[in-house]
Amino acid sequence: MTITADRVEDVVAALRDVLRDDQVLTSKADRYHRSRVPAPFPVHRWAERLPDLAVLPETTEEVAAVVRIANQMLVPVIPRDGGTGLTDGAVPLRGGIVIDVKRMNAIHEIDLNNRTCTVGTGINMLKLNEELARHGLIYPDDPASYPCSLVGGRIGTSGWSLIGARYGHTRDLVLSFDHVLPTGEIIHVGDGIGGKITKSSSGYQLKHLFMGHQGTLGIATRATLKLFPKPEAELSPFWAFDNYDDAYACTGALARAGVATFAGAVLFDEHKVAYLRRDDEAYIPQPDDVRALVCAVMYGYEDEVRPAGRRLMRIARDHGARYLGDEISAGDWAARHDRYATPLHGRTKAGQVVPMSWHCEDASINYTNLPAVTRQWHAIVAALRRRTDVFDDWGMFAYTNGSTGTDYLTEIDVGIWEQRLDDQVWEMWVRAKRDLAGVSLAHGGSISACHGSCREGEVDLVPDELGKGFDVMLDVKRALDPNNIMNPGKYLLDRAYEPPGAVT
Amino acid sequence: MSDGYRYVEQHTPPPPQRVSEVAVTTFEHVFEVDPRLMQRWVLQQTFPNWDTLRIMNSRHDHLDWMHVHFATRVIQGSEILAELDQPGAGTHRVDRSAAPPD
Repeated sequence: MTITADRVEDVVAALRDVLRDDQVLTSKADRYHRSRVPAPFPVHRWAERLPDLAVLPETTEEVAAVVRIANQMLVPVIPRDGGTGLTDGAVPLRGGIVIDVKRMNAIHEIDLNNRTCTVGTGINMLKLNEELARHGLIYPDDPASYPCSLVGGRIGTSGWSLIGARYGHTRDLVLSFDHVLPTGEIIHVGDGIGGKITKSSSGYQLKHLFMGHQGTLGIATRATLKLFPKPEAELSPFWAFDNYDDAYACTGALARAGVATFAGAVLFDEHKVAYLRRDDEAYIPQPDDVRALVCAVMYGYEDEVRPAGRRLMRIARDHGARYLGDEISAGDWAARHDRYATPLHGRTKAGQVVPMSWHCEDASINYTNLPAVTRQWHAIVAALRRRTDVFDDWGMFAYTNGSTGTDYLTEIDVGIWEQRLDDQVWEMWVRAKRDLAGVSLAHGGSISACHGSCREGEVDLVPDELGKGFDVMLDVKRALDPNNIMNPGKYLLDRAYEPPGAVT
Repeated sequence: MSDGYRYVEQHTPPPPQRVSEVAVTTFEHVFEVDPRLMQRWVLQQTFPNWDTLRIMNSRHDHLDWMHVHFATRVIQGSEILAELDQPGAGTHRVDRSAAPPD
């Protein structure tokens, strides 16, 4: 909590002028539930992340009214959607008001002729797609948090989709949205006029500015989305390899094949296979010569997917692949839509099971640099593990970012014994995160393909990644948020305010 | 008519078979961490057989639901392999001459 109890009462009184009592939450439980995201953090410092209160607005106008009050009273505002992001975007670092948009979950329109829908940003993609399926349609934004993340969070993160090689990522699928600025003004952004327009050359491309800002530039409240026919057929073959090099070569060949229904390929490295063979029922029985895995997935009409499948199956065979069977292929792919439901545990070096939380460190890496980044990332995590049992290397994936195989969402999954994260071990981890981000940049990659890069450690290198573009970020932040009330403390944006931010 | 719930029966799973250095199996498709590895920080829980099977079957139900959610039907890789193995179908190799070296 960063504002005094008296001031909290003043803020609550002001909010109750624009919201009903049941929309203003001040209890301990309401605040604790909105103070963290799944990414592991030092839980003994949980209290540092508590908001002073939370609100549940139901309209764009209510969001704008809350933000105007916050801006006038110089109280921090933290936008929160599903709270599933992995870079702390929804975590309050300086108390303040959490604006939780979950009640803004209506489907306002489904336009069957123009193939769009307009929704409140508090809606979840799974629930939206249940309704769209009645019309034979789908909104194919498919993160690993698919059953629990919300459209608004996807906008604030500029999220990455598992099947983005076929349908595009969030930036491609969201056509336009209403957005509340840090001063409480409401704007509509998209291509040009926005609305249902998919391509415009009119004016600056503001849509991209207001995506991926991790809640530092305001709150999206109502969005128009691009729709596709729900696929008639899915094919997701998984293949085994006895070495990483052949699997890597196969992944590149699959992605470069130019198959229209290709929705993505995934490369599992040796550490990932070893982890799965230890703890995943599908892989425990696999023989020792399975050391790397590749999967590809295709969506479309059956008469498109079958020939595509034959082509990709031939490519895999040419690279020495062994088909893993129908049960693993279909089952593992289905599980990729829902990675947040996985119960997690890790091992000490002696092999004992310990409770661990999942940290997923991601980057965007060009194909030719994947092997080098993979080796160096594992070396960083291995050095941590030699020092303490708090960390466990759960292996790496590389997922295609697009349909041409240029670059890959590269992730290393690290089990972290969260309850053992004292200040010293946390600092060790922050240094490791900085090193992981440094490896990405040294190989011409981006610090994040998917999550964003505003957590401790990685964020230190964002100015290096963006160069003078980071100075433009500071100018934009200062211009749009003159009082630094919108999600302060993120992305080193306090540097925009001299002397240091009005809200500290 | 059901034989009813018998406590001893429900708490007597099939004898574990070792499947790896760190895992055992009891029912088909049910795998457990070797109990020797769950003795200090996390202790292994005891489930009645019906609950063990319910959890395993629920997982399959969930995956089936997810398939239907994303596509009308799933084409199995074995179907594609069978098509490739038909006479004449599998002899064509993909032309990789235009591809960059892997």
